[in-house]
Amino acid sequence: MAAFMEEALVEARRARDAGEVPVGCVFIHDDKVIARGGNEVNVHRNATRHAEFICIDATLAYCREKRLPARQVFSEISVVVTVEPCIMCSAALHTLAVKEIIYGCENDRFGGKSVIDVAAVVGQRINITGGVRAEEAMTLLKEFYKGDNPAAPPVAKKKK
Amino acid sequence: MDILIPPAAKKCKTTALDEDTFGIKAILSDEYKTEIRLIKVHSSQLESKQQLQIVIEELAQKLPHFQHLKRVHDSNVLICPTADIEDTLEQHLKLHKISDKVLAALCRKVNVVEVPASWAKLRTQYEQMIRYWPCKFHPDKYAESLHNGSNFTASQRVYHKRMAHLLRNLSKDVCDGQPVGICVDPRQPSIVAIAAGNSSGSSSHQHCVMWLVDHVARSQRGGAWPSPLSFVEDVGQATRTLRGMPQTYYDYLRGHEASRDLLCGAELPRCGEPSSVNDDLQAGNLAKYGPYLCTGYDVYLLREPCLMCAMALVHSRVRRIFFLELSRNGALASTFQLHAVKELNHHYEVFQFTTA
Repeated sequence: MAAFMEEALVEARRARDAGEVPVGCVFIHDDKVIARGGNEVNVHRNATRHAEFICIDATLAYCREKRLPARQVFSEISVVVTVEPCIMCSAALHTLAVKEIIYGCENDRFGGKSVIDVAAVVGQRINITGGVRAEEAMTLLKEFYKGDNPAAPPVAKKKK
Repeated sequence: MDILIPPAAKKCKTTALDEDTFGIKAILSDEYKTEIRLIKVHSSQLESKQQLQIVIEELAQKLPHFQHLKRVHDSNVLICPTADIEDTLEQHLKLHKISDKVLAALCRKVNVVEVPASWAKLRTQYEQMIRYWPCKFHPDKYAESLHNGSNFTASQRVYHKRMAHLLRNLSKDVCDGQPVGICVDPRQPSIVAIAAGNSSGSSSHQHCVMWLVDHVARSQRGGAWPSPLSFVEDVGQATRTLRGMPQTYYDYLRGHEASRDLLCGAELPRCGEPSSVNDDLQAGNLAKYGPYLCTGYDVYLLREPCLMCAMALVHSRVRRIFFLELSRNGALASTFQLHAVKELNHHYEVFQFTTA
């Protein structure tokens, strides 16, 4: 499954080239990539357009097109994503009850495993494996954050 | 005169939200709970006051506990929490390189006392705490006002309640009982966007909040989800935009007495220099830089959001959340308090409408 991380990294680089936070994701079903995407927050002015959500939407479209039961398809999906899913994405993936999540580097700012225990809050456990090609994923992020996010206002001065 | 009472009483039911019993309660983190937490601590009664200075100095350096408490009270000195000790107190002190002289002074007459476990955030906590041990307290006016509900002005309360009414009415009259959300720019105040959950239920992640965030994005010439609804179009050179408003909800607002006068529309995204005018602390970055995601906006929700939606609102940098009903999987009060997680890079305030 980890072999698909290259596909996710391709999406992350594509996001970077589009001026988005470089995170990429692919959904694997029956050993095939059925959904792929990178962050699309800036282009849509919508902070929830993370790579995982792009893939969730693509999977639903795929199920509609192929007339497959979405619930069952999600339960058979391996999520491969370059960065640990944030609390929002992790909550969505737990609620959709995907088969497993495989991620690259950790997200210590708002990771759905590193910061809070999403599985406990949602009440659903799934297999999560981290650290797959973590360094490459982290390097992409570090390089991105060296520059400024062109869509964001300057960081507010720290209170107190 | 008696005849008038029954209809009046009946009317009260439909306007229950306007009564004084109706409140807006801040949902504060556990640090603000009225019941205080205590911990067991070793204390030592010193033989003479002369020993005090050297003991205090050494403890402050080598066992720096209890920043929130006075270390000494009536020649009793707090040493450390009992839970910290693995073997004996003496060994613990040696382990932390306490000098023989101080060690002897401390181990002469040791007691176990209960003291407050953390800082007092509110005066009521402080008043309880000092019954156990003298402690430090920095009064926080704003925290007190959130706690006792005096943080809103009368006119702000009226507006919040109108939003609560609108949520109920929209859900009942036009949204098939689905959850509804309203996003408001609090500066005017003006309604930026309205959204409801999917009644078709085809996509389990398309919750009301996720739609609302996308409708706000539409007001900034963004938006990702194709919506089955049609949206209000701006006419001519509008200074405010109604693009975040689905036409049916907008028509409903304009068609009803109770909501006809509510201001609608969002500031257009700015390009160029930040404005130096209007730089009030309340709206912060929204006033300075114009709309960006939901920065500076308030969100009113019929139902407490789930974890996914609560985090979506963190990412969107919402200023305050008001909700009416608790949810079984709610992540702000029922199962979790996302806004109390310190590690997150943004924190909103949370309020619940209460009917006594």
